[in-house]
Amino acid sequence: MSSFLQYTVFGVMYGAGYAISATGLVVTYTTSGVFNFAQGAVGMIAAFCYWDLVTVHHVPILVALALILVVGASISGALVERVLMRRLHGASAERPVMVTLGLLVILTGYATVTWSATTQHLVGYMVNGQFTLVGINIQYQELLIIGVAIAVAIGLRLLFYSTRTGVGLRAVVDDPELLAMSGASPNRMSQYGWILGFVMAALAGVLLAPVQTTGLNIEAFTLLVVNGYAAAIIGRLKSIPITFVAAIAIGVAQNYVINYLLPHLPQSLVPDVTLALPMLFLFIALVTLPSVRLRAVGRLTTMRVPRVAGGRESLIVGVLFYLVCIVAAVLFDNKAVDGTTVLTLGGVVMTLGIVGLSLVLLTGYSGQVSLCQFSFMGIGAFVMGKIAGGGSLFGLVAATVICAAVGALVALPTIRLRDLYLALATFAFADAMAQGVFLDTHIYGSGGVSVGRIIIPGLSFGGDGAEFLLVTAFFVLAAWMVLAIRRSLFGRRLVALNDSQAAYATVGLNIGITKVTVFAIAAGMAGLAGALYGTVQQVVGTSDFDIFPSIIFVLFVTIWSIRTVTGAFLAAVTYVAISQIWMNGLGIFAGLGIILIGRAAGGILGIEAIQVRLPWVKRARADSGEIPTPPLGRATVVPGGTRAAG
Amino acid sequence: MPPADAPGRGSAVLTVSEVAVQFGGVSALSEVSLAVHPGTVTGLIGPNGAGKTTLFNVISGLQAPGRGTVHLFNTDVTTMKPHRRARLGLARTFQRLELFGSLTAGENVRVGLESTVRWWEWRRLRRLVPHRRGADGAGDAPESLATVTCERLLEGVGLDGLGDRQAASMSTGLARMVELARALAIGPKLLLLDEPGSGLDEAESAGLGRLLAELAAGGMAVLLVEHDMDLVMRICDHIYVLDFGDIIASGTPDEVRNDPMVQAAYLGQAPSTPAPVPGAATQAGDGGDP
Repeated sequence: MSSFLQYTVFGVMYGAGYAISATGLVVTYTTSGVFNFAQGAVGMIAAFCYWDLVTVHHVPILVALALILVVGASISGALVERVLMRRLHGASAERPVMVTLGLLVILTGYATVTWSATTQHLVGYMVNGQFTLVGINIQYQELLIIGVAIAVAIGLRLLFYSTRTGVGLRAVVDDPELLAMSGASPNRMSQYGWILGFVMAALAGVLLAPVQTTGLNIEAFTLLVVNGYAAAIIGRLKSIPITFVAAIAIGVAQNYVINYLLPHLPQSLVPDVTLALPMLFLFIALVTLPSVRLRAVGRLTTMRVPRVAGGRESLIVGVLFYLVCIVAAVLFDNKAVDGTTVLTLGGVVMTLGIVGLSLVLLTGYSGQVSLCQFSFMGIGAFVMGKIAGGGSLFGLVAATVICAAVGALVALPTIRLRDLYLALATFAFADAMAQGVFLDTHIYGSGGVSVGRIIIPGLSFGGDGAEFLLVTAFFVLAAWMVLAIRRSLFGRRLVALNDSQAAYATVGLNIGITKVTVFAIAAGMAGLAGALYGTVQQVVGTSDFDIFPSIIFVLFVTIWSIRTVTGAFLAAVTYVAISQIWMNGLGIFAGLGIILIGRAAGGILGIEAIQVRLPWVKRARADSGEIPTPPLGRATVVPGGTRAAG
Repeated sequence: MPPADAPGRGSAVLTVSEVAVQFGGVSALSEVSLAVHPGTVTGLIGPNGAGKTTLFNVISGLQAPGRGTVHLFNTDVTTMKPHRRARLGLARTFQRLELFGSLTAGENVRVGLESTVRWWEWRRLRRLVPHRRGADGAGDAPESLATVTCERLLEGVGLDGLGDRQAASMSTGLARMVELARALAIGPKLLLLDEPGSGLDEAESAGLGRLLAELAAGGMAVLLVEHDMDLVMRICDHIYVLDFGDIIASGTPDEVRNDPMVQAAYLGQAPSTPAPVPGAATQAGDGGDP
């Protein structure tokens, strides 16, 4: 009985920490309409800063808390709203998601280069001592976390319902224009929301830091508050009381599972299940959410639509590209960079290019965000390695089909929900796969999975050059297929779905089937890319398919242009190039890139000033007698019926 | 209350019975009942916030009613998904444009047209058919059935030669016509039009009136929300007046025009003042419903 109570107290304590972070998430969402994927990273940075100030520099605890919460978090929240989020007002739904993901990878990247991974970052309790109650020991630190969480919940309730500012905070997302007419500033309200969100994320971070018995870990601590995501989802991103209760319940449930269920599982599974639990809770929260109704939002994209190459044109360009690659294969044969042959790196570029193409199809055309394309790569590589010795063409087919099926299963629970929830589901899936499968030495092997070079009777792909050309052929075929899909009936449907889901449904088209189909195709493509990646690298490691590289690659494609084949290819090239030069800086590059591109939905290649200098764009416009439209970065989306006459 | 009967040429294609919708503490629709018959244009008028768009959302499946039922073609569709209602023969346009802005006008229509065809019949749309482009026959060449049908639909709403324009770059008036053509492309038996005349000039509005009359003459049922009273009074066979979520009057245009409650609630005159003169363009209301 006493152990049950002890587990319960632990659970409530962790749940209280999640609750603080989750309510911050809800406050940010209700005041700005943006789900802050960087919430956990803000808490992680705050925890490391606290460790730095208190443990390393011996700054008094209260001074450190004041510096972190009042100065650091508040100013950061205000700046993020002013510099990043305000520019996104009116932008399409996936842009804020991308920018907060950019913030996430910048913060984790910064932490990686700032705080050494070899140092054990142990944080002391803020208040020492304990007392015994009905036979259980309760640390004052635990009591502090629970007390602060209750105070935050009551404080927020009072703020939202008993003050004029609170009413403004609640009103700003519903109708900012109406709020402005009542004399309040929507921007200021939104800024208050971001400040509150950051302060609560930081508060959760510094409170939970001392109870990390094994010390702070950048990735683990960033993802620790994912339980807060699940709580916020259960609160439907608007109810602070439900979010609070859900967070406590998740904290308690997690402790019960760890202490009662895991001992009955095989010992080898325990670490995986423990690490994957937060994502499991998030996934369950998503599945249990009630359906949302379709809304006619009356928004119209005015973005310049990238020209889609015709069948013959894409064939000619594909053949020319392949010829250039043959020349490159001859020129760079046996050349190496840092011990890796250039052609192996080229092969990696092509496989990542296929992943980029899957994102063009999924996000660029249909507007669905996936953060788990690398997980499908991992599954594809695993399947390839395990089937027929790892070099079989059948392995490629199996990897594609299995990943497509898994992709459909991931997308299925979220098709009735808003698109943000698909992004969250893929986030949960990516981390659960990374923690539960790819890092598991029993599944993936301690040295990774061996994948042989492709064997086709009569042809040899043993050399790097031949393998590079084989993978390039798959990339060219995939690019041709993506363009063919875009020109087809299904492609029109994807773009239509992206533009208006309400109109899509009311012309008789099934949104769910289209979403699951495109997700499955994209997952299949990523699985194929993973299988090919395996054949190029020959051994794929546990860290190749982690969640952060997956997010970073999505950002690279978005930075270049997630709507074009060229963007996918350039993203793969820059990703591989930068990872060769400064692996730890990938996140910082991606984050800064996405922030600088801001709300230009077309990425770098979609920026008007760059487009007009591209000779093929110039020629195409001249041929069609096209009238220039307003540059990107301005008025990407406007309310229906208020556009200039055309 | 059973739906008030409207004159028609057959049994009702749409029957809304005692539908109620509540948004928090606000009643958007309370016990609304109406019927729409084939071959007629039925008007739904009322001041801003009366609940017209909410009723359209309930009929098309974008909004679930708290109470009441919706029957389409004698089938209870109250809980049916929007796309399945569309497949039964219901099409609609939106007060705030819901275009596929990244696609061209022609592609917008084509998405609607292709939605009517099962995947095993897609080849049928690619079948080449003779296509006559101009009176002199210049530029004639066989085109796919889909292309020819889309061009005909665009011509029908006055968008000849604009099929290649990106929908998002078109003026509001033209964009509304693209929406209408897209709705017609699915071959509807019941067409819901939410302020289609908004943004149209006088000539375009007259053309819209003629088009709707032709569609009704062909057997289609049209339910029209419109603030252009001249257009409504001219083309509607039957009119329902909605105010604060309630049907306060229904009848022929003359009956509605002379109804004192309607004049007080919507047309802007006190019950004692004479009825407005038909033919004089009257814009009643200018905004949106919840």
